[in-house]
Amino acid sequence: MTATRNQAYAHLSRWILLVLLGLYTIYNLGPILWLMISSLKSRADLFAMPPKLVFEPDFSGYQSVFGVGAARDSASSVGVFDSLMTSVFVSTVGTTVAVFLGTLAGYVCSRFEFRGKGDFMFFVLSTRMLPPVAVLVFYHMMFARLGLADTWLGLVLIAVFVNVGLATWIMKGFFDGVPKEVEQIAIVNGYSRIYAFLRLVLPMVKGGIAATAGFCFIFAWNEFAFASILTTTRAKTLPVKISTASGATGIEWTQICAAGVVLIIPVLVFFYLIRRHLLMGMTFGVLGRR
Amino acid sequence: MSAMLDIRGLKKAYRRKAALRGIDLAVEEHEILALLGPTGAGKSSTLLAAAGLVEPDAGTIRLAGRDVTGAEASSRDVSIVFEGFNLLPVLNVRDNIAFALRSPKYREAEAEIARRVGRTAELLRIAHLLDRDTGTLSGGERQRVSIARALVRRPLLYLLDEPLSALDLKLREGLRAELRQIHREHGTTMLYATHDYHGAIAIADRIAIIDEGRILQTGTIEAIYARPAEAFVGRLVGSPSMAFFEAELRDGGLLVKGFGAPLALSRFGRLAAANGPVTLGVWPEDIVVGEEGEPGRVYAVDNRGYEVAIQIETPAGSFRKVLEGRRPVGQGDTIRVRIGEGAGFLFDATSGARVSHQGERA
Repeated sequence: MTATRNQAYAHLSRWILLVLLGLYTIYNLGPILWLMISSLKSRADLFAMPPKLVFEPDFSGYQSVFGVGAARDSASSVGVFDSLMTSVFVSTVGTTVAVFLGTLAGYVCSRFEFRGKGDFMFFVLSTRMLPPVAVLVFYHMMFARLGLADTWLGLVLIAVFVNVGLATWIMKGFFDGVPKEVEQIAIVNGYSRIYAFLRLVLPMVKGGIAATAGFCFIFAWNEFAFASILTTTRAKTLPVKISTASGATGIEWTQICAAGVVLIIPVLVFFYLIRRHLLMGMTFGVLGRR
Repeated sequence: MSAMLDIRGLKKAYRRKAALRGIDLAVEEHEILALLGPTGAGKSSTLLAAAGLVEPDAGTIRLAGRDVTGAEASSRDVSIVFEGFNLLPVLNVRDNIAFALRSPKYREAEAEIARRVGRTAELLRIAHLLDRDTGTLSGGERQRVSIARALVRRPLLYLLDEPLSALDLKLREGLRAELRQIHREHGTTMLYATHDYHGAIAIADRIAIIDEGRILQTGTIEAIYARPAEAFVGRLVGSPSMAFFEAELRDGGLLVKGFGAPLALSRFGRLAAANGPVTLGVWPEDIVVGEEGEPGRVYAVDNRGYEVAIQIETPAGSFRKVLEGRRPVGQGDTIRVRIGEGAGFLFDATSGARVSHQGERA
């Protein structure tokens, strides 16, 4: 008797779970699906009531984003292509510099004792805790005075700034995982520490470097707060552009939606590539030794 | 003759915690010296300092007569084998063994490298593994490769830091015998750190006993048996180790707690202790178990088939002893113990220093 009752319970709770999961999925993926559909609709279809589920796909939004076809030079184009290029450049260069610096700093913090190391590590991490809004005004003034406002160089500096602390912590975690015997073996056998670092230790953490780069790229790519204040016309990143895009004929929803889809894709790709390291990178860095 | 490795007054502290408190140690040329001590005694720190991988706070290190205290590790011409991590994962077995021979300091011609790697691999019976990835090796194979990398070069000194501890008993005994054999053939000089008494006596010419950052005693195992410098030496040496009894020096005799008659002091030779509590240490081999003597209780019995190891409790302390043959002993039995003629050492009850000096000139 109780057995069948338990079975019924199990059945019911399973169904409830499935329904909840289904709702959660719709909640999460619904807007993205809506975005993707909208990015293929012409202006007329977009505002059709009731919403059209079957329509002629309009690729003008994507043409505009990637700067191809007639849509690029049309009066309605809001110049999303330039922003895409800005974002790609800023994120790539910013990530490269941040990972380079973070790798070196992470190695030093993993292997050497120096006065104030704990304070230094905390300071480095605190740059990630800082709410950007709190200091935006002052950054704006600094950048304006230095001539960095509205330039790619300024954006790269911001991309490095938001990432270098994280990169240091994550890379320290990966270096902590490399036994110190690696360098000791090299040195006792007649090699230099530099050789040990470049030829033995770095190859052991190349997966970690890739994961760190993935993290940094995503953060740089998504960075909005600083970019929205520090860039006004010439150097707008894609997230900023999307939030402000309007053309000669008003807000270009099709282009905005296409840009939104394009904005999501690299994040998906990088998250897929670093999925194995996601948890490790997070916990290694923050909960790692010392 | 000056020693190959001569360490004097070596001190090292990590984060204000002293690891080495004045190590004095000499390894003669062509000898294997075992550095025997418990975990945390300072064995690894001593080896790392000798290799130049740890900078000492005080003291001097001389290698083949040269003062290397401040010298770069890469210039010292030593080899080291660690307990756990030894193989560089970015290189295969062959390149791991050849590693040192391609370094700027110890570079050899490729033909010579191939010859030496082949011969060393042959010696350690790993020739069939040369093209393998290090990740595919078993624990025993890994340590063989590590030892091969150390042996492929002819350094002044080999530093072996518990190289066999992670292996199971059979592998350990086999590799130990091989190390001993290689030593005999090539006359290598080795400093071999271990916490394993059996390992130490099996491989070493002499043993240095280390505890809490100090060398307590250095000598052949016979010399250590004849005159253990401290109670702790007795705890570390022997299988089973030394038996200790609470006792008191009084009126020209030694009263062992719970024993009927006092022991005459003449057996302990010259004494450097006043009346009061002392510790009596006796090698289990010098304790006769049987029908006569003081009563004790059998606390545990470990039947090994051809012999029986028992733990005996007496009012003055408990100890372990191996009884040869198949003696019918049961747990809880009352048994009589007698301390053999002339046997036993007296140690200071608090410091552990030996205070009896039998057979020694004043």
